[in-house]
Amino acid sequence: MSAEATLHDATGHAHDGHDHHDPPFWKKYIFSTDHKVIGIQYGFTALVFMAVGFFLMMVMRWSIAYPDRPVPFLADLPWFQSWLDADGKVTGELYNMFGAMHGTIMIFLGVVPLAFGAFGNYVTPLQIGAPDMAFPRLNMASYWCFFLGGVLMFVSFFLPSGAAKAGWTNYSPLATTTDLGYANQFWTGQTQWLFAMALLITSSLLGAVNFIATIINLRAKGMTWMRLPFFVWAMLVTGFLLLLAFPPLEVAAIMQIMDRLVGTSFFVPTGLNVAGQPFDVAGGGSPLLYQHLFWFLGHPEVYVLILPAFAIVAEIIPCNTRRPLWGYKVMVYAAMVLGFLSFIVWAHHMYLTGMGTSVSTFFQTTTVLISVPSVILITSLLISLWGGSIRFNSAMLFATAFIPMFGIGGLTGLPLAFNNLVLHLHDTYYVIGHFHYVVAPGTIFALFAGIYHWFPKHTGRMMSEKLGQLHFWPSLIFMNGIFLPMFFQGMAGFHRRAFDGGAAYQQISSQLFMPGDSVFGGIFNFLFGRAAGQDILMIDLNLIMSASAWLLALAQIPFVINLFISVFNGKKVTSDNPWDATTLEWATPTPPPHGNFLTEPVTYRTAYEYSVPGADEDFLPQFVPDKETGAPEPAKVAAKH
Amino acid sequence: MEIPYEVTARRDTGLYNAKIGVWLFLASEVMLFGGLFSAYVFLRVGTQPGFDNPWPMGINVQKIWPGFINTLVLIASSVFVVFAWVALKERKWQVFQRWMWGVILCAVIFMGFKAYEYSDKLLNHHDVKLVDNSILGGKILDRTHKIRFAAEEVTVDFSGGIPGFIGEIDEDAGDVEFTVVEGADEDDPKTVKLSQFKKWFSTQRREAMAEAVAEKMKRRKGTWEEGKDEPAVTKAKLTAKFNMHVDPHYIVQRNEETLNYRDRTTVKGKLIDDSIKLELHNINLQMIPMQQQDAVLAWKLIHESTGNDDIKKQVLETRDSRIEGIKKYYEDGVVPVKALRGPYVNYHNLHDSHGHDHGHDHSHGDAHAGDHGSEEAGGGHHGETIVTIPRDQARFVTNHGPRAGTYYAIYFTMTGLHGLHVIGGALVLAYFLFFGKRIYLKNPEHLANRVEVGGLFWHFVDLVWIFLFPIMYLM
Amino acid sequence: MASSQEELDRLKKSYVAVGAALFVFTVVTVFTAHWWHPFGPVMGWRDVVLGLIIATVKSSLVALIFMHLNHERGLVYKVLTFTFYFFLGLMALTLFALFDPIPEAFDAIQNALR
Repeated sequence: MSAEATLHDATGHAHDGHDHHDPPFWKKYIFSTDHKVIGIQYGFTALVFMAVGFFLMMVMRWSIAYPDRPVPFLADLPWFQSWLDADGKVTGELYNMFGAMHGTIMIFLGVVPLAFGAFGNYVTPLQIGAPDMAFPRLNMASYWCFFLGGVLMFVSFFLPSGAAKAGWTNYSPLATTTDLGYANQFWTGQTQWLFAMALLITSSLLGAVNFIATIINLRAKGMTWMRLPFFVWAMLVTGFLLLLAFPPLEVAAIMQIMDRLVGTSFFVPTGLNVAGQPFDVAGGGSPLLYQHLFWFLGHPEVYVLILPAFAIVAEIIPCNTRRPLWGYKVMVYAAMVLGFLSFIVWAHHMYLTGMGTSVSTFFQTTTVLISVPSVILITSLLISLWGGSIRFNSAMLFATAFIPMFGIGGLTGLPLAFNNLVLHLHDTYYVIGHFHYVVAPGTIFALFAGIYHWFPKHTGRMMSEKLGQLHFWPSLIFMNGIFLPMFFQGMAGFHRRAFDGGAAYQQISSQLFMPGDSVFGGIFNFLFGRAAGQDILMIDLNLIMSASAWLLALAQIPFVINLFISVFNGKKVTSDNPWDATTLEWATPTPPPHGNFLTEPVTYRTAYEYSVPGADEDFLPQFVPDKETGAPEPAKVAAKH
Repeated sequence: MEIPYEVTARRDTGLYNAKIGVWLFLASEVMLFGGLFSAYVFLRVGTQPGFDNPWPMGINVQKIWPGFINTLVLIASSVFVVFAWVALKERKWQVFQRWMWGVILCAVIFMGFKAYEYSDKLLNHHDVKLVDNSILGGKILDRTHKIRFAAEEVTVDFSGGIPGFIGEIDEDAGDVEFTVVEGADEDDPKTVKLSQFKKWFSTQRREAMAEAVAEKMKRRKGTWEEGKDEPAVTKAKLTAKFNMHVDPHYIVQRNEETLNYRDRTTVKGKLIDDSIKLELHNINLQMIPMQQQDAVLAWKLIHESTGNDDIKKQVLETRDSRIEGIKKYYEDGVVPVKALRGPYVNYHNLHDSHGHDHGHDHSHGDAHAGDHGSEEAGGGHHGETIVTIPRDQARFVTNHGPRAGTYYAIYFTMTGLHGLHVIGGALVLAYFLFFGKRIYLKNPEHLANRVEVGGLFWHFVDLVWIFLFPIMYLM
Repeated sequence: MASSQEELDRLKKSYVAVGAALFVFTVVTVFTAHWWHPFGPVMGWRDVVLGLIIATVKSSLVALIFMHLNHERGLVYKVLTFTFYFFLGLMALTLFALFDPIPEAFDAIQNALR
């Protein structure tokens, strides 16, 4: 059945499909059990949350760049005013709050739901040829747990205590002793953070169970394990990471809730003084226990953030180079090894907690080891580009940019694997730069690529290429504008939690970055309206980073316009398979109806058969049967199983 | 398309969807309880002797029998679940119902014993750690662990949350009426009742915040006129007469006339009484080095309360005779240091294990030493020793709830979480019992599958308890 | 999986036997906690190991017979093997870190707090 025939079938059978009675609106779009609707719900909620997280960061960057000036626009808003100081400047308390919530929102409410919840939900069942997830109602429960958790996080901003401010890692005993001045400890931001996290964890667990069960049991006829698209493999590994890494964080959250509300001392050591007074608990707990439990999740979480990005890019690159994915099997095994190793590297976040040499050696070794599968993945993607006739549409631009961006993020992580270097780099902007390169220009670029790539499948219309380009190029430049200087600052010793950007530390901030009479200095002084010839100090890099952050916000406007305009005015697709891709999701009608496939899909070959010698076209979709008298096809033997 | 393999198994994996789902869910549950067990081991082996609170052995501080019975009850319920499943396989609905009722009954019994254990610990057992780290155990009488205070004037701060003192006013004070002395505008009410206090406070707080913001804006824009514009009101002073029982946990500073709360509330008035009255059950000197044990604060307080040193003499004599016993037991004469520091040397129950003995002169006779640790029954004591402990001599006062130490904390967390799992599992199984008939009539195999899946969860809950029982009650 | 009546009867017998064995082991574990030391319970490492061995035997019985792990599909074993590996990592590595502190730093903290 060719793609055109499917489209024809879709229109022909639209009226006599099995969906005779249309469910009411709230059941179809709000409390829906359809994996596609849930995917879209996840996507939109996550994008909104991400926008809020980005906004928090813009306020923080103002405080870093101009610690002595009042915040523009916001200083006149009453709610904000109560957190600002008398001059309208950001207080340390507000900075801490926004810093903690920026991290939490971006990771747990933004990137993971968008990558795993939205793309995973939408694409996985389509790619394996399933009618829906294995447990559709569980899927709905998962979304609503996530939504409630998100709402709780945002409600905490408006409590008298404000939202959580002990950092996104919420280390005890700081997190246990924050906001003690409120009689009702339950309604403090710090406690609500824990409850919201418990909901988010529940959501992830339900999602993970659902994903794994779906991938194991609902694969279509002929979809053997090695015919799965890499996307599905990555989702499977991600599912296992979420399933097994999140419960210890839930344990940590429950224990911290007990510490805050009941007065236990799981994470409070004996003899702790708070504000000059002995803290009235039994003591005997261990702050390190919290860090272990947190980072046992925290490190696999990094791969939860990055594997879906690899997954999306691995779909887009073969499709747009018209070449098979290079080293598919190696990539699959690398992803699995990555998953395994990610569970035994966590203490490299804790080198400075007084761990001895043996433990440090162990974790250094595993951390260096884990770079091997990561490099295999990124290299396979890079080699996949080789010799292709590349189609540089918006999706492909983002996907190709992902490779060097993730490369920078990954390689700058290597020094952090060694505890002697961490002595210098711990908690500096170097670390911030490192993991933001992985997540922001890395994962988020891949997510943008995914949106551009699968948009036609969902809406039946293409997104505008021009706006896409207008979105991509400024984003690329400004992303680097934000994060590249962080490496220099970090190596100069700038601490990540200084709300004035380090201005208070003269001996660090007055280091020279570049003389004023250099070319860079000239441009810099001109752009920021400074006297010509003035030297560029390390702390002046804050100006570049902050300006880039605000410009990056502007660069997202074309994307938002594109997203909404194209739903109604985009160019209509002419077939169900506008990119001439090979995987099963392009076999469905556009948009896919409830139940996805009109007839039971059958898989005939592996996932990336582009430019097969002797074939009529330059792609052989998984769902098209072999021709009786066709040219020899390499996957023919395998397809007979 | 319908979702396949809901009842029948897929050929290559051999499993139906729900079974994969429940095993994955159990895997995450293994990690959940695995995290808790890891925390248990981490906290237990991380305890620094003589520095942290000693980690008690379950057998010394727990009643064994409720836990023992609960273990048997859960095992029985597990057997019932598999029999219920077999009954469905045999297509015998009535038999299935009977076994399922058994399971639910077991769950109820289990939770009943759980409730008994919890309430006993929370209400009948207290520890007072004195400033020199000797610990007096027993039951605190008449809520004397709280500060009794006669309040006359309260100052509340609007920059915080709703003040906590309103929850500590004695119930017999009724609906106290406060008179607002300072901090109210002309149009605000001059009196406020206790029942209206939260609402009043929220309103005032909102107004105070708005005023403070307006003041800030004016100052920033330079339109503030010193002396002419009134500064924002952020505090209010109220007067009322009432008595309170104040939890010292929420107090940062206090003296005879003033209590300063953590939430920036100040209560002025008069201190009624501040000493703790403890019905003495045991003395724990584990944190005190052996050679200092006859000079601890505990003896002084007991002497002041009872007027004699009988208890001290008996406890120390028993200790010495036990050390002799240990030395005899280790015939070669090499006594492990740990054995001399062990809880059964210093941890001393003043009550006979069976509660028949009256008074406190019963710690003679090492014949009981072996098992009396397991029994600390509350009620029914006559001629108790009441010790009065001044507040400034007590470092930490607690019941045997989660606050009492890391052992109790992890005990309550793990058994509490386990209890929630019992309730959840029982609800699921009860759903099959009461609403399963419809599925059964449609496709009995479907219900059998569901019961198998529900049963898997139930067995897992049982399995967790099998580990919890020895590590919490015995070791 | 059980299908015939004879098989079900055989299963029922095994369930009763396992239930009885679990009862007995419960009594044994309470007993061992008491009898080891003649003058009161002292938990040495032997007692802990013994208690854990009994608990492990009991839980294996539950897992193998009640949860049908004695004849389950390979997939379930794979999932459980992953889980066991991660659980072991969590428990062992945290303890490893606990028992290998930098001694000087550790002592300094202890002395400062004392």
